Formats: sequence, structure tokens, C-alpha cells
Amino acid sequence: MPKAKVTVGFRDQLRTAEVELPEGEATPWDGKSDLKVVGKPITRRDGALRVSGKAKYTFDLQQPDMLYAAVVRSPLPAAKVRSIDFSAAEAMEGVRAVYAVAEPGADILFAGQDVAAVAATRPELAKLAARAVKVDYERRAFVTNTISAAKPDAPKVHRAAVQERRTEGDEPGTGGGAEAKGNVRPLRPMQKGDVEAGMKGGTVHEASYVTQVQTHSALETHGIIVRWDDDQHITAWSSTQSIFSVRDELAEVFNLKPANVRVHTDFLGGGFGAKFGASAPGSRLGTIAGELAKKTGAPVKLMCDRHEEQVCTGNRPDAHQDVRIAGTSDGSLTAIHVRSLGSAGIGTGAGVGRNAFAIYTKCPNVLVDSSDVFTNAGPGTAMRAPGHPQGAFALELALDELAVKLGVDPLAMRLKNDEHPVRRWQFEEGGKRFDWAAKRAESKKMREGKARIRRGVGVAASIWGDFGRPKAAVATCSVLRDGTVEIRNGVQDIGGGIPTVLAQIGAEVFGRSLDTISVKHGDSDFGSSVGSGGSQTTSSVTPAVRNACEAAKTQFIAHVADLLKAAPTDVVWGADGTLRAGGKSITFAQACKKIDGESITATASRPRTYGAHPVAFLGAGMPEIAGVQFAEVEVDTWTGVVKAKQILAMHDAGRIMNRLTCTSQVNGGVILGTSYALMEQRVMDHDVGRMLNPNLESYKICGAADVPKIEVELTDVFTGANNTGAAGIGEPSTIPTAAALACAVFDAVGEPVRRLPMTPSRVLAAMGLVPTKGIIG
Amino acid sequence: MNPFTLVRLPTLDAAQDRVAAEPARRTFRAGGIDLIDRMKEGLDEPDELVELAAIGGEHGQRMRGIVQTDDGGWRIGALVTLGQIADFDDLPSAYGAVKEAAGHAATPGIRNAASAGGNLLQRPRCWYFRHSDLQCLKKGGYECLALTGDHRYNAILGGGPSFIVHPSSLGSALVALDASVTVAGKDGLRTMPIEQLFAPPTVDPVKEHTLADGEVLLSIDLPAPLAGQRSAYHYAKEKQSHDWPLAEASVRCTVEGGTLREVRVALGHVAPIPWRSKEAEAVLEGAKPSAELFAKATEAALSVAKPLEGNAYKVPLAQGVLRYALHFATSTPLPA
Repeated sequence: MPKAKVTVGFRDQLRTAEVELPEGEATPWDGKSDLKVVGKPITRRDGALRVSGKAKYTFDLQQPDMLYAAVVRSPLPAAKVRSIDFSAAEAMEGVRAVYAVAEPGADILFAGQDVAAVAATRPELAKLAARAVKVDYERRAFVTNTISAAKPDAPKVHRAAVQERRTEGDEPGTGGGAEAKGNVRPLRPMQKGDVEAGMKGGTVHEASYVTQVQTHSALETHGIIVRWDDDQHITAWSSTQSIFSVRDELAEVFNLKPANVRVHTDFLGGGFGAKFGASAPGSRLGTIAGELAKKTGAPVKLMCDRHEEQVCTGNRPDAHQDVRIAGTSDGSLTAIHVRSLGSAGIGTGAGVGRNAFAIYTKCPNVLVDSSDVFTNAGPGTAMRAPGHPQGAFALELALDELAVKLGVDPLAMRLKNDEHPVRRWQFEEGGKRFDWAAKRAESKKMREGKARIRRGVGVAASIWGDFGRPKAAVATCSVLRDGTVEIRNGVQDIGGGIPTVLAQIGAEVFGRSLDTISVKHGDSDFGSSVGSGGSQTTSSVTPAVRNACEAAKTQFIAHVADLLKAAPTDVVWGADGTLRAGGKSITFAQACKKIDGESITATASRPRTYGAHPVAFLGAGMPEIAGVQFAEVEVDTWTGVVKAKQILAMHDAGRIMNRLTCTSQVNGGVILGTSYALMEQRVMDHDVGRMLNPNLESYKICGAADVPKIEVELTDVFTGANNTGAAGIGEPSTIPTAAALACAVFDAVGEPVRRLPMTPSRVLAAMGLVPTKGIIG
Repeated sequence: MNPFTLVRLPTLDAAQDRVAAEPARRTFRAGGIDLIDRMKEGLDEPDELVELAAIGGEHGQRMRGIVQTDDGGWRIGALVTLGQIADFDDLPSAYGAVKEAAGHAATPGIRNAASAGGNLLQRPRCWYFRHSDLQCLKKGGYECLALTGDHRYNAILGGGPSFIVHPSSLGSALVALDASVTVAGKDGLRTMPIEQLFAPPTVDPVKEHTLADGEVLLSIDLPAPLAGQRSAYHYAKEKQSHDWPLAEASVRCTVEGGTLREVRVALGHVAPIPWRSKEAEAVLEGAKPSAELFAKATEAALSVAKPLEGNAYKVPLAQGVLRYALHFATSTPLPA
């Protein structure tokens, strides 16, 4: 295997490392590479289309003679379907087909589950017809409260064996451990040392922390258009973060060859982990649209409305975490024990991430023991850093509570226990920039003076792995006769701006301006690619694109050498775009015109992750991505209202590909985290088993006035892990936000708010201002 | 949403006759903000919407204007939008509470369409009422689901048998400002104090107002300002962009020779009607404004609260909100 010397590390901590390059791999860009286009803050290519409304999302698309589907959903949280009567619906204006998703006898496990569907000529006619479908149910006992469901005598949610549903959005290495008992299904524990021994070696803090169910609430709801081109071919337009999983699911459901299913996603209005596959986690959208299209011979569009989006398309599970944490007077942690119960509704995957286990690694004794609890609610699914914001909140707030007990500064305590060199730098540098010590002194003064408005600051850490996938992305680079360099890969743009980054790779390799690079994406015919989950898009796709570009460039130089009658090694590529060899020259445009046939084309993939990284993620062969966020809040003690004032977000994303789009992703992560910290929550009535706020009004999401001032510091970390050096940022950037805000609220009022979101009611309660009980209940 | 017909009739009489003939199937549309929401949720399914904006003549004029009346008061038409009230520069600062309340409601987009009359007569936001799958007392069912369910946003004062909170922000401000309303009925116009527009759930739990079928709210009348009249409005919300208040407070008073007079206090989003607090007024009337006095007055205001198990936080929160409103109304500096 070829070897390469690469400069790895970050800032002034650079060193040379020798790495083995897989076959065909371009020499990695490293700490010494002076890149002209990659890394620069370049505005996204389709920005004007998006802001002008010209960008067409799946929601906007229409096909000739298209029909609209509407789904009949169960209003009951647990039932058996006795019968479905379509007669009234079938007789209604515009109705072209009906379809029973649930056959008589089928189990209903949550309110919102698919029962039947109709297709009609207009969306409102389809909705009216769906309301006219009569379903007879046999009601059953149900349970929607996580803690009640975990009790042995609770109604059993699943009557059949549970399938673990995993997508590219789930963190590798997580998942089920043992068989379910009742509604409780243990997850694989994370363990090192002996926590009970560790507890004896230090002062112990013990408390329970609760986080809520958060819904993905993408601006564009789930939806798909399915068209049968003939009885063996489907074309679909899907609001998806994983085109190829949509293709594969449709192929499987309708027993077609994957190559006979073509999927398009030109623009996507958000996914956050809930948009994998042709179906939503709790609704078989692709099957329904496909069946209705088959029956009618017309394309069928099925878009969820907001109520459906809230109840059956996935969510971040809740978590009830009992935390015990111990440390000594110098701030050294001796033990961390987290026991968590969480519910992903009828689904799986309610763990609490790696935070407690893998950030404060000097702590010798750790046990994280979590279980899924089944409830009669829509299935949870991967949501931006599954498990991590929940885990970070409990761990970091518990750490601060212990720090107060020990009389240790929380920032110093984190430095005492975290070994990751990049995160250590982020803690130290961030502390200076944030004026940590002075701000802590100020908040103490306000607390002691019982000020009406108090300020507080907190800090929390992020952990994530570089999950860039080998061989999944296959990219093609063509140099066309008109001088365009065209890059093709099927990848969808979840909103991070991947087409812009791919153009930058092409511009960098060919030394051409960005406007001469064409990027074709969002179509399964453009070459296989990854789903946008696990923060892996950029680190999976850019290396494949670079390899394709380098290979096409090599062929192009050979073509130029032929034209100039020189050896390829003698061809010099001038900065002005002129190619010279042996006293002769030709411009890039002239050389392109002389290409035989349409183009010079090369196709390539991304090999395995290699390289030398500061910290391997959980000992596996991939870099650990570091991040730290500092938060400042203002609390009105008269009303309990918390205002997030500012967040300083210090993040590593490997080599930054585009400073502007990367910063935008961090901004998005911080806003999502702030919203989770302060207001978002699914409210479920446990007596009636319904979500009470299936909308975007009483399900509250940060608006402009709620967003803090955000300062982003992106630290380039060079690892030689792949040929572009890209790593992920989408998920790491939202992990510590809520935790840092909770620590800041604790600093401001002197009492911890151990339950998210930190609404005025909970802040007032933490301050001891709420009468414990009213007159009823 | 069911299909419906939009009917535009040129006179108030014709519009009223149209609705009164089939009140179960026909209703008036003003700004349409809440009505269309309810229709989309399937809560209301009228066949016909009779559009008030189409009405001409003197009634139409009255519903669309903000004018000063002969007695020195101001008349706000029922079709005037919240945005127009918030931005109406000529409205004296003595009425500051109503401008503030109008200007902090919803979003700029909604304020530019939502009418003052519609704001006063909108239906409650209780999520049991708004859930199309659920039947509750407010919709003609047997029980108030909020009572034993999740009632974090429900009433702490004056609740029972329904525990909704009245959703109108203008309502509490107008109660504090001692406004009256003029209603067109079968037998011509009638004017009443605005407090008589709102009906507690003990009267009829499916209705929040006292209007009869076919009656139309024409205008809101603000009395001429008292000498030295001041007013203020304040609120607390879980979300600062587009949210309903958890509690709000409006205060009107005069300060004569360092003494509070003519004090009227109203709280919003704490009771099924805009809640006049005579307890707070009694503490404040004739007293000297101070932070200590205001703290005492807010305690008095909430001393009659009967919170449910899960909304007792609204007691200290409403106290805090009222404290702010009292400080702002009297320009008394806030404690550090």
C-alpha cells in the first residue's frame, strides 16, 4: 500500500504522521495544504432559488393527471380494527380509489396510525372522503406515560415481537441488548471500572433529570409522489434525506429491481433524522401512494399535514435519568452512574448517547444503563444526535451540581476530567473569550443580592464520531467539450449545502472558477450516495468526488499531452488555465473542444477511513469530533421567563470545507438546542392518549425573538482520515446547547431546573415560588 | 374543511337577517383569523359565511373607523384591525394599555387581518376544545377534560365548570379602561359596559359572550380620559415570538398629589373572562405608589386564586406580571 506523510493535528499542535493510503486514493489534504477554494466562506449555489421561491420542493411538485391521497388515521391509542366501510367515501365527488392499510383484525397501537387511504382529484376532496370512511374499532387499554408503562401491571403495548428499526440517522454501535420484559427493553449498557467502589471514593451527588419528547417539525412535511411508468418501473419524488433508502424500500415493497425505481429530491425542506425511506417512521406513505397509483394508473401525491407530521413521523424520545456522580475536592470524578428510562413510543432507540460514558474520560468508573419503554404513542426515530442532547443535559447539570458541592469551578472541573486535546483547547480558549471567571463572579453577586433580573453562565461538551462511510458514495466527474467540469452524485441536499461544497472540490482540483463547475445531484440515476444522517454526508461524499475529479484530471492531462505531443508528466497546468509542455501551449477551453466524444469521464468512490487522529472515537478507527458551548442566560425572577442571551459555540469539523455553510449548520444546531431547552415539548394527555399540541402553535419552536446571539468558532482539525479531511458538524453542534443553558440557569438562580424545557413554571418552581398544590388533584 | 359559500350583503339588516334565519349553518366573518382556523380543524362547519366587511352605510362606517366622540372619548370600530389600533398615533397615551395589548398580540401578519371585534369574540385556545377528536364540556360534552388533564394554560381564577382562559388580550385592557361596547340587535342598538359582554361558564359553558344569534358587535367605546389618566399593559409568554400569554395585566389609574385614584385592574389569560381584580384595586386606591405597595396589591389580587394541581405556577407569575404593569402605569422605578 502506498504511504504518505501528512501533517495532522490542529492550530499550533501539528505533527507529521505517516498514513497508509488505500488503493486509488488521492493524497489527503492536510495541515500544510494551501487550498484556494475549499474552506472559503462561499454562498450556496441555490440560495437565490430558495429565497425567491423558485426552488421546487416535493410539496410544490405536480405531475399531469396527478391524484391526491389522504390517510384515515386511528383516533384511538389502542384498538382492534373490526371493519372498514368505504361505501360513502367511494361515492363522493372526485374519489378515484380507496385502499385499506389495516385489514379487519389489525392492531392499532397509537393514535394517528394508518388505517385506510383514499385518492381523489383534489387534496380537499381527498380529505373530505377520508373523513367519510367509517371504521369500527374495538377499544383496548393503553398507556402513554413512560413511567407508568414501565410498571409490570401496565397494559402491554406490543402484542407481536418488536423489530428494531435502524436508519443511517442512528449512531453506529447503539441498540438493543436483551429481550423486553413487559414494556421495558434494555439497551446495551456502557460500562467501565466499578461505579460502587468509585462512589465510595468521593462526594456523591444524586438526582433525577427528565427530558421531553421533541418532534422533528421540519418545515416541509413528509411526502412523496409515486408514478408507475409501466408495471416494472416507478418514478418517485420524495421529501427525503436519503434518496437511496426510498428507492430500496419502494423496490422491496413492490418487488421491483432497485434500478427500476428512480427517485428525485431536488430540494428538501428539512429532515433532522425522520426522513429515511419511502415511509415515515409511523406511516407507510410510500406504500399507500404506490398502491393508489397502481390502482388508478395515475401519479399519486401524498403529503402529510402538520397534525399528521406531529403524531406519526417520528420524534426524539423522552428520558427519565437517575444520575449518581461522585468526585473529590480537587474536582476529579470518581464515578458516574446513569440509569435511564425513555420511550420512543411504539418504536425503539430511547438511549441517552455517549456523553456520560466517553467525554470525561479520566473518571475511571462509569455505568450507563438505559432501557426503551414502549408506550402507545407514535414511534420515535433518530433525531439530530440521537440520545445525546438528553444525555448531555443530565450529565452536565449533575456535574455542575456536584461542582457546587465540592466548591470547584465548573469549567476547571471539566478540564480536570476531559482528556481530548481539541476539547481542552476549546474549554480554555472559550473560557477566555467568554470572560468566564468575571461572569461567574457577577452572577454570584446578583444571586446574593436577590436581583430581580439575574444572569448566569454555563458550559457543556459535545462528543460525536466521524461516521464517514466507505464505498457508499460513487461520484462521477466529466470534463465536457464546452469546458464545463460536471460532477454527478445522487446525494440529496438536506439543507447543509452539499452541492456547493462539491463544486468547491471540483474547482480546487481543476483550478477552475466555481461558475464553470456543474453539480448534478438529488437523483438516484446520478450514482449511489449516502443518506444525510449521522453527520456523514460531507465526509462520505467529498472524498469520492475528489477521487473522481483527480482521476478525470489525470485523463485530461494525458489528452493534453497527446495534443501537445509531450509526456503527461511534462504538462504544466498554469494558474491562468493554460496548459504547457515542451514550448507548446493550449488553453483549457481549446483542449476541451478537442475531446473525442462527449467528455472525459472518471468514476470513483471513497475508501475506508484511515489517518491519524488526536482521539479515536471509542477506540474505533475513526476520529472523535470535539465541541464545547458556553451559554449566558437572563432570568426574570418575577415571571420565571428565561432569555437565552448568547452562545459561544466552539466546534471541530475536521477540515472545514466551507466556513459559511458550516457556520450556518452550527447556527441551526444552536437554535434547535435552544428551542429544546426552553420550549419544545410534545404534550400528551395520558387519560385520552392523544397529543394535545399537534400543531406549531402550542408545540412551540423558537422564533426570531427567542434566538440568542451566536458566535461560532470553527477549529480545523487535520486527521488524514480521508482525502479531503472533512468530518461532520450537523449533530455535534446541537448536542451541548440545552445542557449549557441549563447550567447557566442553575448559575443564575442558584437552583437547578432538572426538567426540560425550562419554562417559566419550572423556573418558578425551582426557585420555590410555586404553591405545591392547588385545590384539586 | 367543509365547502362553504361566502356571502356579501351591502347592509347590516340584510346580513343579520341572513344569519338569524339559519344560525346553526351560517355565521359572520370579520377578520376570519380564528373562524377559519376552527373550520380547518372541523370544530365549526358553517355552510355560509356572511362577510361583515361588505356592509356599507353608517353601520359599515362605524365598524371601520377610529374616531373621537363628542364627549371626548374614542370609538373603535369592530372591524378595525389590531395593527391599526397599535399604530394609531392620535389615540391618547391615557389609553396606552389597549395599544400595547393590540401591538403584542400574535404576529404582524395576523394583527393586520385580525379585527378588534373578532379578538373579543374569538373562541378559547384550550387544547381540549381545539382537538377535533375530543369532546368536552365547551363543545357540548359532559366534562371539562382540562380539569383532570393537562391544564398548564387553564384558569386559576373564576374557573368551573369549564376552566378555559379567555383568549382576548384586548379584553383585559378594555376592562381596565372602563370601555363599553355597542351591539346591533333585532331591536336596534344597545350599549353596555364591556364586562357585560363576557359570560362566565356558569351561565352557559359553550359560550363566552352574551350576544344573541344574529347580533353584531359594532364598536368599542372608550370613555373620555380622566384628568392625568395613565394605563399600562404587561404580559409573560413562554415564547417571545408569536405566543399566547401565560398571564397578562392591565392597569388604569390617575396619580393626584402622590396618591393613586380611579384604579382599575384587570388580568388576562387567568380566568374564563377578562378578570377584574377588585382586591388589588382596594389595596391601591388612595395609597402612595411604591414597590412595596404593588407587591401587596398583587398578593391581594391572587389571594382569591384557586389553581388546579398543575397550574399553580400561574399564581406567582400573574403576580409578577401585575407588578410590572403597576410600575409601568405609575412610572415607579423597578427594583434592581
